[in-house]
Amino acid sequence: MSGNAKRASTVEASVECQIRGLAAERHLPAPHLEQWLGLDEPSRASFLEIARKLRLRTGQLLAALDMLAEIAVRERLDVAAILSKPSVARIVDGRGSAPARAHEFIEELRALRFPRLRAALDRIRTEVAALKLPRGARLVLPKQLGSDELTIELRVRSVAELEKFISMLGERRAALARIVAMLGGDDDV
Amino acid sequence: MTFELDSVYIEERSRDSVLAARITRAIAPEVPIIFVPDGRAAAMPDSGADPFGAGKRRMIVMRRRTPFLTACPAGSSRFACCGYLVLALASNCPMDCSYCFLQEYLADNPGFQVFSNYADAFEELERLSHASPGRHFRVGTGDLADSLAFDSLTGLSGDLISYFAARENLTLELKTKTGEIGNLVRVDPRGRVMVSWTLSPEAVFQSSEHRAAPPSARIAAARAVLDAGYRVGFHFDPIISYAGAERDYAQLADALLDSIPAARISLISMGGLRMTPALRAAARRRFPGDSMLCGEDVLAPDGRYRTFTPLRLKLYRTLAARFERAGAKFPAYLCMEPASVHERVFGVAPRLPATIGERLAQA
Repeated sequence: MSGNAKRASTVEASVECQIRGLAAERHLPAPHLEQWLGLDEPSRASFLEIARKLRLRTGQLLAALDMLAEIAVRERLDVAAILSKPSVARIVDGRGSAPARAHEFIEELRALRFPRLRAALDRIRTEVAALKLPRGARLVLPKQLGSDELTIELRVRSVAELEKFISMLGERRAALARIVAMLGGDDDV
Repeated sequence: MTFELDSVYIEERSRDSVLAARITRAIAPEVPIIFVPDGRAAAMPDSGADPFGAGKRRMIVMRRRTPFLTACPAGSSRFACCGYLVLALASNCPMDCSYCFLQEYLADNPGFQVFSNYADAFEELERLSHASPGRHFRVGTGDLADSLAFDSLTGLSGDLISYFAARENLTLELKTKTGEIGNLVRVDPRGRVMVSWTLSPEAVFQSSEHRAAPPSARIAAARAVLDAGYRVGFHFDPIISYAGAERDYAQLADALLDSIPAARISLISMGGLRMTPALRAAARRRFPGDSMLCGEDVLAPDGRYRTFTPLRLKLYRTLAARFERAGAKFPAYLCMEPASVHERVFGVAPRLPATIGERLAQA
């Protein structure tokens, strides 16, 4: 074995050792540890670096590994290439606390994994915000837009309050109808 | 299509059956034939790395112990169903689509079973027919198996067509992803048989539909059976969301309509890719590189992963609009979707279950 090859092999062994150490610390389930170790060398090392830097918690490690695997299949990229995307690097190398950046990191992976869902949710949430519903009234969107059902929650303690809410909803009828239509795909999804 | 059979097991009680004789004659001489007392044991998963895949290569000729005729297993009170009846003449399929529900459904008995006592199915159909005079039923053999993929070995299509051709209130649907129509074009179905193809864009075919015929070959086969007197239907199911899917599905519909005018299509169905968590895990384990299994799928209220609703409905509408523009008047339905989704896609509430069969009878 040449000197360079020996050095590379030592570095790889050290990365593996560090991954195992972090996995044990975070009680990472064995299948996810295997998944991590199964990545190519640059990918597993760059994920290790990010996991350390952002102090990813167990749930975040699991979510990140799952999403990275799926993004890799979808985009035919290796994990190192995904992690070096500018939108990800900006979060990893950005300012702010580690937990805040960890949260942002997971959200960015979610946006990469579900780009059209994210865009659709953003558009619908903008419409919901524009309704400016008063306290006591709330629109609940279906989780991850997994159905076309919109829930309207009203909390009332008197008939007068109820009438006020019903009239408020009537005034917003067109905007509400637009949201219902968007949930059914009448939108530039 | 070319079979990759490792072995054929024949249950002792099926040794002298018509089906065993046909299969024995048709298989390649190097495929070993093993006689066993009980075919069910041979249908169990083996201990290899891919028992489901191995099951596809192990054909078992055996008696069916349970009724042949059942309601479609996809039916549920949650969904607006089409009233499809399933005739289970075989179980498993020589093709290997990465999204196939059989990977979960047949995990405990993946052996490729074909049932030698299939004539009993005709008695069940007779009972159904006599018990419901005046009603019309659509009965298909393409639920637990492809209807035609193994027809060159079994010749079952001939028996089925002869039976259904003489029944006024039954329509047979042979559902397939193959171009195996050799046996069909030799028989007169007398208008009582519909052959239907599952259609997917080229990208889905390439990525996910292993050993199936290319989409263009399926459309060509449909045209050929139409000319031979069969009715034809098409199932855009599963519809998979991926980059460019809307364009590809619209082009697929155009390619179909270029070959077969809307007026000559008897039925269209659509259904989004839907996978239980167990199926998704099994599919991804068997096909880890298939990007079609990593769409924008979220857990829906029915416990299945589905493309998030607005996008799924948009894909349905894209196709529905294509057919509407072409002047389609045929029955169309959405598989495993609630009534609200039907209404959003077609603009009207779905008709009652079983009306697809009735409408086919009237068309």
